[in-house]
Amino acid sequence: MTSRSSLFRATLRIPPSCIVFVVLLVTLWVLRPNMMNPAILGTFARQVVPLGIVVLGQLLVISSRSIDLSAGGIILLVNYLISSGLLYSWPLPPIILLCLGVGLAVGLVNGLFVGKRRASAVIVTLAVNIVLIGLVEYLANGKPPGDVPAEFRALYNLRLWTIPAPVLFWVALAGTMSAFLGAFVFGRFVWSIGSNPTSAHFSGVPVERAVVIAHVISGLMSAVAGLVQTSSIAVGSVRFGPELIMNSIAATILGGVVFGRPAEVWGPFVGVLCFALLFVVMTTMGVQEPGKLIVQGLIILLAAIFYGLRSKSN
Amino acid sequence: MSKVGQIFVRANSRHGLWTIPLLVAVFCFAGLAASAADFVSRQNILNLFAQATPLILVSIGQMIVILVKGLDLSVGSVVSLTTGILSLNAPVYVTVPAAMLTAAVVGLLNGVAVTRFRVHPIIATLSITGITQGVAMFVRPSAGGTVAPEIVALVSGQLFGVYMPVIWTIAAILVGWKIVHASRFGLHLFAIGGGETAGTFGIAEQRNTLAAYVLSSCFAATAGIFLAGRIASGDPNIGTQYAVDSITAVALGGTQLAGGIGSLHGTLIGCGLLALIANGMNLLNVSAFIQTVVKGAILLLVIALQPRKNIGL
Repeated sequence: MTSRSSLFRATLRIPPSCIVFVVLLVTLWVLRPNMMNPAILGTFARQVVPLGIVVLGQLLVISSRSIDLSAGGIILLVNYLISSGLLYSWPLPPIILLCLGVGLAVGLVNGLFVGKRRASAVIVTLAVNIVLIGLVEYLANGKPPGDVPAEFRALYNLRLWTIPAPVLFWVALAGTMSAFLGAFVFGRFVWSIGSNPTSAHFSGVPVERAVVIAHVISGLMSAVAGLVQTSSIAVGSVRFGPELIMNSIAATILGGVVFGRPAEVWGPFVGVLCFALLFVVMTTMGVQEPGKLIVQGLIILLAAIFYGLRSKSN
Repeated sequence: MSKVGQIFVRANSRHGLWTIPLLVAVFCFAGLAASAADFVSRQNILNLFAQATPLILVSIGQMIVILVKGLDLSVGSVVSLTTGILSLNAPVYVTVPAAMLTAAVVGLLNGVAVTRFRVHPIIATLSITGITQGVAMFVRPSAGGTVAPEIVALVSGQLFGVYMPVIWTIAAILVGWKIVHASRFGLHLFAIGGGETAGTFGIAEQRNTLAAYVLSSCFAATAGIFLAGRIASGDPNIGTQYAVDSITAVALGGTQLAGGIGSLHGTLIGCGLLALIANGMNLLNVSAFIQTVVKGAILLLVIALQPRKNIGL
């Protein structure tokens, strides 16, 4: 009995993303064996790089019992800044710095509202998202802006040993985040806030400041995701689906990070890869947009129920 | 302090701070009436009512959920799905019950996920939003179809010389008042939202919370019926704005998002204020995009003025 329950517990400890990933991989292998090719899979992985980078910030925020729904707005704003033609005369580095600055600023606003004013994170980031989207649509006047500088395109299409450069960049960024959380006390702060904010506060963790910093990093990651997303499309676009936000939460939860669970980078990383595979599987099976929305919703719900059940049994 | 003074600063009463939003709304109304000549015209006041009615319906449901420390992000997709179902080629006595039943099932799913499986309300309703939106797009991939003439008549006609949106609004207020302020269930909603101890006093927390989510979905479906009658077709994206708008309206009316404090009249004032702001900006020819910016900024401001105990969600 005890061995069975410990086996059960060990299974529960694996992030659900790993299980889903294996299931999807086998499904794809059975359905379309010829898709199992590094070059093709690399191309699909490249499509989810912006999502993967957003998730790197989202996992910090979610693990400190907050949430960030403003990624779409930040990406849209970064996209507009680059492709509107306002900055055509600028060289590349200041453009990138400006975009990162925008992400930092929006993250700071989110963080101050959530951490210092103690406003509800969902509402704050939702409202900030609306404000940003409305602002960009007003500036762009409802039309897609101009072209993206050629350097961005070139960087995006670069491949090293058949692996696309954006994917390598994503892996490197995830590795940096993982090392950062492991090496610095901030990682421990996020862990402790995630498991119990009250005891974290009484143990001397600067809860407010840690939440603000988590939001700032999340905003920065969204800006980086915006840069990659902008490079991926030939022309700037004013359309950016809210599915990115839903997917980022789904991948994070699927990766084993939920409110009250420690921040961990690689579980959500595999969670994002799951979405890459899921898109391939659903596309090959001819599932349309409505079906995709339903599947995404079900994934979030099932992963959340999985954790709800587990916290109940403990 | 005088009695009137006490009413105005009663920030921590069970009904929340609704007097200041009321003053702001009166101020807005007076300002618009003075500055825009068309504002007080019969046609514009009617438009105002027709614009506010669906928001009032959704917001009453949203408030019921917020009172029990919850939040329902799925109301928008329920509105869209309802218009989709109503625009299917079937008689009214099939589509309307089908739409209400579907909404009840959505609410039940939200409630079960929140109460039985202890999923955070935001995560639960967000994922159900995705599912419901997917179903809505499956039922009606793009705007179109025709809604039965009975429903159109129910929204655009007159009854005893009173315009239908006015009747819908009054009916919504009466039903909402009965549920929130004049029933045992309503009292229990406040008790559950108010603290951790409601269960020890014999209040069925789980069952009442479940009922709150079902009611919220049903109110959203009613808003969907109204909107379907107004545009006489289905639209899978018509409800998108209602999740945020209803939360804004509820918060504007002094209801605490932390639960336990709020009032129907506050919510009505919040809806009226939002409708006035939108109408005013339309009359002053403000760009639709700037209008969304203003709405978001109002939400941020109101939320920042509602201090809570805990950080985060």
